[in-house]
Amino acid sequence: MNTQLEELACLYVLDRLDARERAAFEARLAHDPDLAATLREIEASLDRSVRALAQHEPPAGTLERIEARISGSRQAAAEPPSRGAAPMWAAAARWGAAAAVAVGVGLIAVRSLQRAPAEGRPFVVVVGLDSLRSRLAEVPVQERPRDADASFIQLATLAERFWEKPDDLPFRLDSAGQSGRGYALFDPGSNQGFIAIRQLPAAGRGKEYRLWLLDTASGKVREAGVLPAAAAAGGLYFFSVLPATSAKPGSPDFFVTAEDTGSPLSALPRGKVVLGESRS
Amino acid sequence: MPNPQENAAAEEARLLARSGAGDREAFRLLYARYSAPLFSLAVRMVGNIGEAEELLQDAFMKVWRNAASYDPRKSRPFTWAVTVMRRTCIDHLRRRSRLPVTTPLLEDDTAIDRSGGDVVRRSAEASEDSELVRGAIAESPPNQRRALELALFSGMTHAEIAGRLGQPVGTVKSWIRRGLLDLRATLTEPTP
Repeated sequence: MNTQLEELACLYVLDRLDARERAAFEARLAHDPDLAATLREIEASLDRSVRALAQHEPPAGTLERIEARISGSRQAAAEPPSRGAAPMWAAAARWGAAAAVAVGVGLIAVRSLQRAPAEGRPFVVVVGLDSLRSRLAEVPVQERPRDADASFIQLATLAERFWEKPDDLPFRLDSAGQSGRGYALFDPGSNQGFIAIRQLPAAGRGKEYRLWLLDTASGKVREAGVLPAAAAAGGLYFFSVLPATSAKPGSPDFFVTAEDTGSPLSALPRGKVVLGESRS
Repeated sequence: MPNPQENAAAEEARLLARSGAGDREAFRLLYARYSAPLFSLAVRMVGNIGEAEELLQDAFMKVWRNAASYDPRKSRPFTWAVTVMRRTCIDHLRRRSRLPVTTPLLEDDTAIDRSGGDVVRRSAEASEDSELVRGAIAESPPNQRRALELALFSGMTHAEIAGRLGQPVGTVKSWIRRGLLDLRATLTEPTP
């Protein structure tokens, strides 16, 4: 086994290959028994490293809470987690109640996206963003992704297409008089997406850009990640969010704010909105 | 003749297939086998018992939803579950917008134990295996050990690890590869 293949196998086990590299590796794996054997040995190293950690039992009742979530039990969803841990998005939900009022005023919804992702024709949500507003549209896709990886590949393909051919977007990216412009693609089924930044001023000293998802029905906000500093120069960035807690989530909208660098987890969006609908 | 690990992997692959078909009992059996190591991994990665429990729930929800897509030709069942847990933790860490200060694998984890987790009673065989792993890591060169720990438990990309260690990415990749292969070699040596 050569060094390059061993290194590739390590990256595969550590989940450090992108979708294209992973697909190529798996294609080779299917007909290379030596590579498969090496992979199994590296997997064994990883597995035993994990089992070698100081072992902790999960708190009592964790399985029951998981099963309640599987069953979609609202009662279980409302039950606070054990050991005093706050639900991750509880704080954001409090802000969302106020934000929901503003949402109905300025949002230009091209179409209603109330349909649950598991029903009807599969689609990807596309949100056009500039420094004043959001525009929502849905783009039908050929088939519903069977898992998160398939969704990633579908989104990445679409994101690249829109990046190379902006005219294919369901709306026009108008830059006249705008300090920023971009768009987000989102699959409500897998809760992951891409944000494309076409134009954005530098965040400034002590500031960083954060991406947020707003459920326009409930007003709940979920943090979708911190944009790297290089994003101001433009680019495509992957993100994922926690699943919506609502049984019937509404249309996902996105906005980007400039926040103090290193603000803690679950901090509310407090900074200036630089992309998406202004809520000031 | 299949060894015990292969038998266990085959059994767990069957449990995943049954879970994918909606069999709750199979899912509970998987939880019984995987919850402690995955929870321990989450505790190690995020450094907080409460967050680790939330993330364990999220990871098992993903296991339930995606069990039908598990392909035994691509990975062992436990490795697949570890990947689900690591991805969940890494997504969480990136949302939290800071990376944890990772601690050496050899460090006594009792500081974490005091925060509320129940330490698992482990079989003598499992303890011996852990000692082997810890010993192998302890004997590895410091840079290689640090790179491997960061790759396994910090959620950092290789480029970020390179930045942290002040080394080229290629060097870091090489250390990580060497670390995993050295560990493999130690673990496959026959027990006297």
